[in-house]
This record gives sequence, structure tokens and C-alpha cells, in this order.
Amino acid sequence: VTACSPCVVNSSMLCRKYTVLPPPRDKEEKAMLDSMLRVDHAGEYGANCIYAGQMAVLGRTQSGPLIQNMWDQEKIHLQKFNEILGENRVRPTVMLPLWNIAGFLLGASTALLGKEGAMACTVAVEESISEHYNSQIRALMEEDPDRYTELLQLIKEFRDDEMEHHDTGLEHDAESVPGYMILKTLIQAGCKAAIYISQRI
Amino acid sequence: MAALIRSLRAVRSLRGLGSVVATTCPASLYGGLRRGFHRAALLASDSKSDQTVPPPSHHEHYQHEDPWPNTSYQDQSGEQAEDYETEDQLQARILTAALEFVPQHGWTVEAIAAGAETLGLSAASAGMFDNGAGDLVLHFVGQCNVQLTEILAEEHNQVQLGQAEKKKTADFLRHAVETRLRMLVPYIDTWPQAMSLLLLPHNIPESLKHLSTLVDDIWYYAGDRSTDMSWYTRRAALTGIYNTTELVMVQDSSPDFEETWVFLDNRIRDVVNMANTAKQVQATGEAVVQGLMGAAVTLKNITGVNQRR
Repeated sequence: VTACSPCVVNSSMLCRKYTVLPPPRDKEEKAMLDSMLRVDHAGEYGANCIYAGQMAVLGRTQSGPLIQNMWDQEKIHLQKFNEILGENRVRPTVMLPLWNIAGFLLGASTALLGKEGAMACTVAVEESISEHYNSQIRALMEEDPDRYTELLQLIKEFRDDEMEHHDTGLEHDAESVPGYMILKTLIQAGCKAAIYISQRI
Repeated sequence: MAALIRSLRAVRSLRGLGSVVATTCPASLYGGLRRGFHRAALLASDSKSDQTVPPPSHHEHYQHEDPWPNTSYQDQSGEQAEDYETEDQLQARILTAALEFVPQHGWTVEAIAAGAETLGLSAASAGMFDNGAGDLVLHFVGQCNVQLTEILAEEHNQVQLGQAEKKKTADFLRHAVETRLRMLVPYIDTWPQAMSLLLLPHNIPESLKHLSTLVDDIWYYAGDRSTDMSWYTRRAALTGIYNTTELVMVQDSSPDFEETWVFLDNRIRDVVNMANTAKQVQATGEAVVQGLMGAAVTLKNITGVNQRR
């Protein structure tokens, strides 16, 4: 275990550099974990691209620092998943370039609706991601909570971060964008489709 | 009872012929039938050997020894005695033994039958393999891949321990592909037949799986930990290199396949060059974009569009 010196909070999963996953005991478990990590990685990658799109439009406005802050947290998540994928020889999803473009376009186009649009997009996406992490936590708890303690802790920590972003979005007038419900439904449908595809390919 | 005792002794005598790794075997519905076939094969060979009548004391002696190896139909619990061999292990042993007859018979069922006979089984046990020669080729390919992984893991350990120098990526790839292709040298005359077997439609899924695990293992030990599209491009490139070099090797007649290794070297250098060129193009592109943005900002400043009110 190598100590992480710049990191103040030692209990955070982000600081530790040992492996988060138990060594796989058979092919089915490896396939299940692979699929989970692949879709999580794709999710964080997409979230990064969405924030990049939002920053491209709103970066120089008043909400710039707020979005930048949330983006930085997503970058840390992505880095952690990159590490896990590399260590455990998990194949990343082949749809990554598509999620790159789609995420950037989504972020930029909702940001063109103004700050409220960007916040609405954030709320929708973070709600989808939190729901997804919750279902993964449920699946792992049903499977074998003792075996996956560290992975569970990591996912819980990330889910809490995403819920924080969701709440921040709501605080900053996400619901006041015209067509909020339609926008939210559309974005969440897109997220569900992306999750479904990334789990498989 | 006597037949069962003879079959037990046949199992024990077979054990002496090769190392048997004990694993637990999940019971299957057809497992019972196949175990029966196994026993039939054993009994057929058993009738030729081991003619001695077991002495009466053997019975009591036997009862204190190992528990019944589970060659009966009744056992469905999946628990095995330590020295029981699963059907997969038996098939693996037969196919490994069959490899030495490949130069003589080619990649055919005759080679499998000859291999089975060296293990003391009847030639009819080659019927166990639905896929026939395809099974033999796939087993050989799998075995080579496992050997390569072991070699690469050992070298990786050596580097970790500081006993060896870390190779550069191009050298590592060349070494790994050469090591793997050299395993084909004893069978190189019949290898075209094996390649055509691997290309049969019902063998393609499994041969592709072997190829993809081979390429993934080589890149993993070469130090690839990428998590973006380069994961795919690297593996695709190495697959291309491996397949083309294999094709060159089967028609290479130079001493020790020198031309093949030169070809391999050139292909790897091409891929490395392409990767470097791609990086350069990207860097140049970024520089150009920045230049254009700078020009646009300058223009906006000049025309006064950028003024804040």
C-alpha cells in the first residue's frame, strides 16, 4: 500500500493504490465485474465530456467556476476507473468515441439554453448515474457483500458525489428551464440506452 | 464386484502413466454416461493387461484404502476422490499424447487414436471427440498460449525482481511473437492443414477466442494499460502482425526461418512508425488549431468586437 501524500482524507477510496477487486474465482464473476466496470468507466467518461461541453459554452460566465468544480470531481472518478480497468485487464467499451462526441454535444447544447439548461442536464444525468450506481450496489450486496467490500465502498463514495452534483444542480434553478420535464425525460432515456449498450459492447 | 475392483486397479495403473491433477468436477447429467464410456475404454484395455487374480486379502486391504473413485452413475454430488480424473483432463491427456503422431498422421483422428493407444486406451476412445481433428488443433493452440503466458509471466517477474532489463515495447512484441511462433516449428509441415481446420465455420468462434486472449496477454505483459480506443487499435495491429507472420512462416524455407523473423521485425517497425506518425499528426493538428484561435482572437481585437461594455 503506497501512501498518497497530497491527499488529506485518508479514508477516501481515491487515495489507496491497492487493488479494489478480489481476484476472480471463475469466468462468470469476471464477466460480471468486467461488465460493471466497463459501464462505470463509460459513464464517468461520458460525464467528463458533458461537463467539457458545458464549460466550452458557459466557461467564462458566472457559473463557470461551479461547473469547473463538478468537472474536476468527475475527472478524479475517471482517473480511478482508468486505474481499475488497467489493473484488472477489463476491456473498455468500443463506444467510447461515440460517447465522447455525444456527451460534448449534449453538454454544449443544453448550456446554450443558459445556466438553467446546463443545470437541468446535470440534474438529469446525475440522477441516472446515481440510480445506476444504486442498482450496482444492490446487485453486489445480494451477491456477496463481504467479498466486494472495497468495491462497494468505492461505488458508494462515487454515488454520494454524484448525488451532491444532482443537489447542486437543483439548487441552481435547474427546474426553471422551459420544458424541464421533457428535457429531463429525454436525457434520462439516452443515459439508460447508453448504459445498456456499454454493459454489452 | 470383481470387475469393479479390476477397474479400480486399472485406474490406479493409469495414474502411473501420467500426472493427474485433482480438481473438483461439477456433476452433469451426461457426466454419468461419459464416465461409463470412460470405464468401458478402461476395461477394454484392462482385459489385455493385469491378468492376476486379486488375492482374497486384497478385499480387506482395499476397504481401508481410498474411498470409491466415483465412476458410478449414482454419484451426483460432484465430490471426487483425490485421484479421480475428470473427463476434460483425460481428453487433454489424450490430445497431448496425440501431438507426437501429428508429423506422421497429420491433424486427423488417426493421430488422436494413436495417442490414445500410447496411454493404454483403445483407439475407439478417439470417438470421444465430436470435433475430431479440430479438437486436436484447438487443444494445441490453447496449450501453446498457456506456455507463452507462463514464459511472459516469468520474464515479468524477473524484471520486477531487477534480475533482467525491461525491454522496449517493439522488442518485447517481437520476442513474444517469435517465441509463440517457434512453438509451431515441430509441426510446421502440417501447419497449413491445421490453419485450414481453424478456419472451418464451427471452429472459428473458439479459434478467435484463442487468438484474442493471446494478443491480450502479449499486450498486457508488454505493459499496455490503456483504457481508450488505443486498447482496440493495438490489439488489432498485433493480430494483423501475428497472422501475417504465421502465413509467411509456413512457406518460409530459409534456415531457422530467418526470413520470417526479418518480416516480423519490419511489420513491428511499421506499426511503431504509424503510431509515432499518428502522435505527430495530432500534435501538429493541435498546434494549428491553437494558431487559428489566436489569429481569430487577434482579428476580433483589431475589429473591436471584443470590447467589454
